[in-house]
Amino acid sequence: MSSFVIEAAGLSKTFGSTHALAGVDLSVRTGESVAIMGASGSGKTTLLHCLAGITRPDAGTIGFHSGAGRVEVTALSERERSRLRREAFGFVFQQGLLIPELTAVENVALALMLNGMPRARAEEYGRGWLAALGLAGMEDRRIGQLSGGQAQRVAIARAQVTGASVIFADEPTGALDSTTSSEVMRALLDSTTGQGRTLVLVTHDAEVAARCSRIVDVRDGRIVGERVPA
Amino acid sequence: MIARVAWLLARPGSAGAAASVLPVTAFGIVTALLLTVIGGAQTFWTWTDDDGILYQALAVIALVLLVVPLVSLGGAAARLSARRRDDRLATLRLLGGTPATVSALAVIESAVLALVGAVAGVAVYLAIVPLLGLIEFRGEPLGASGVLLPWWALVAVPFAIAALAALSAVLGLRQVVISPLGVRTRQEAPRMHWVRAVVAVVVVALAFGVMSVLQVAGSVIVILAMLAFGFGASLAVLNLVGPWVIRLVAKGQAKRAKTPGRLLAARTVLESPKGAWRQVGGVAMTSFMAVFAGTGVAVLDALGTGGDADSEVLMADIRTGILITVIGSFLMVACSVGVNQAAGILDRGELYRSLDMLGMPVGTMDAARRRSVMSPLRITAIGSAVTAAVVMLPLTGITLIVAPASLLVIAGVLATGIGIVWLGLLSTRPVLVRAATG
Repeated sequence: MSSFVIEAAGLSKTFGSTHALAGVDLSVRTGESVAIMGASGSGKTTLLHCLAGITRPDAGTIGFHSGAGRVEVTALSERERSRLRREAFGFVFQQGLLIPELTAVENVALALMLNGMPRARAEEYGRGWLAALGLAGMEDRRIGQLSGGQAQRVAIARAQVTGASVIFADEPTGALDSTTSSEVMRALLDSTTGQGRTLVLVTHDAEVAARCSRIVDVRDGRIVGERVPA
Repeated sequence: MIARVAWLLARPGSAGAAASVLPVTAFGIVTALLLTVIGGAQTFWTWTDDDGILYQALAVIALVLLVVPLVSLGGAAARLSARRRDDRLATLRLLGGTPATVSALAVIESAVLALVGAVAGVAVYLAIVPLLGLIEFRGEPLGASGVLLPWWALVAVPFAIAALAALSAVLGLRQVVISPLGVRTRQEAPRMHWVRAVVAVVVVALAFGVMSVLQVAGSVIVILAMLAFGFGASLAVLNLVGPWVIRLVAKGQAKRAKTPGRLLAARTVLESPKGAWRQVGGVAMTSFMAVFAGTGVAVLDALGTGGDADSEVLMADIRTGILITVIGSFLMVACSVGVNQAAGILDRGELYRSLDMLGMPVGTMDAARRRSVMSPLRITAIGSAVTAAVVMLPLTGITLIVAPASLLVIAGVLATGIGIVWLGLLSTRPVLVRAATG
């Protein structure tokens, strides 16, 4: 059995006349944390979106290894990719992008309810994850009543609660101050690689990237270097 | 300088052409409907006989009933126009634009978009004038020349609409002017007091009491005053209690919700029960009036007109008037809902996109937003109809016995109206699909 959870080969993606990805090969091992770094427009977010099945590349293949074997992500229909994202992947975005009308626990439980879990049980799981991330007592607060760091931890709980094997994070600390950023990164790493899951994140921040097990540098749609942080 | 910046901002942005097309369309619909309503009503003022006064009185009632949803639609169009530009204007403020510059730009943009839409609305109105002329009153069609407004009205209305849009834009953009960040924070959901319900019950009971003793009133003036009280007080109650009831129902729905769609819908309504009411509130008056007047006409019809041809024509005309008013009102609410929903989707585009990334089916997002409109609409339409039925209980009872079919017709008309609003919602689905899937 492969120790890789994601294997991408020859990924290319063009938007109009812009080559966002130009032949990218990247494999991610189970339990690894990979930071994709690069300047704005380098193609790092497009790479993340392709790996996560959000965007279909123009060329290349992406294999996702689950307990049931290898899934060819690029061969899946829109609906199947949507289901894969819902059931196997978790996402954390820069702004959290939580639903403001819902409470913290409802935001987390929603991910499970989408997979058919009854609400009471989903909220029970949600409360457990929020408590694990230091948000006990804040479950019934609406998102507007939380600080940026707290909201981002709710987003982390939402990404983890389904038991996703891979978490994709796009600038998860981009909107936070350095102290909060450090706390959120700790929470993210503890709840992913700390539990044997895989984390793939996109960041501008060298300090954030340094906390991952591997850094991949992207420029002009190509991987120009890989390194292990000191 | 302001004109040059306004021209730059007028170019399509990240939201695409929708940022301009939506408000233009909305203002076009407002103008076309406004001209249609005024054009239809003006015919009645050409009648100078005794019955003419009665028709004019009925036309005024219909106009008042139609003006409420029309104002709501106009407000929605203006807010949409202003909100489409919030981000760019906030950025301009950050770059050092003065409050006066930002306000001036808001005025120019909204006024120009409103004017373009209103001119298109005039064209639509002119196109449907022949159809409007086919509507029969007093046994003959109104005629195209009868419903065609004078040229000066067709020129004045677009400018009036543009002026109102500009005013609304200035008021709506105060936040951007005050705070360069233009941040909208959402904290605690608004609460409303139960005292509203108590006041409502007392007023409805009073109105019922007044309507019950209607037949013992000594003079026509007293009867009219009592009718006006019954009608006015009940409508005031609907406005007072509507948002409260919507919030109460949504709270229960949020607690009981078992699916993501139902939970999202209930929480969306709870976020702003007043906003939900504003969107569909126009239906309350129409629905109330449909039952209030509909039962009255049905009873008079059933009791017979004694073979009097004039009375028979009058009854038929009142029925036509009720039908037009109810459908017109629902049509405006449908447009208002469409405009508000399109604006809401564009405002929350990033959130919908993220939900799609998380794997939430677009169908779930769509179901949630449809439910968040249809649930308050059903509460409003049915609640208002029931309130009218209670206030008019003696008449409703008689109608049930002597003309049960007419109650079915009223229910059918209300159901059709709700269907029109549903279609309005359906028309915005492509906007959601585009926003979610990018």
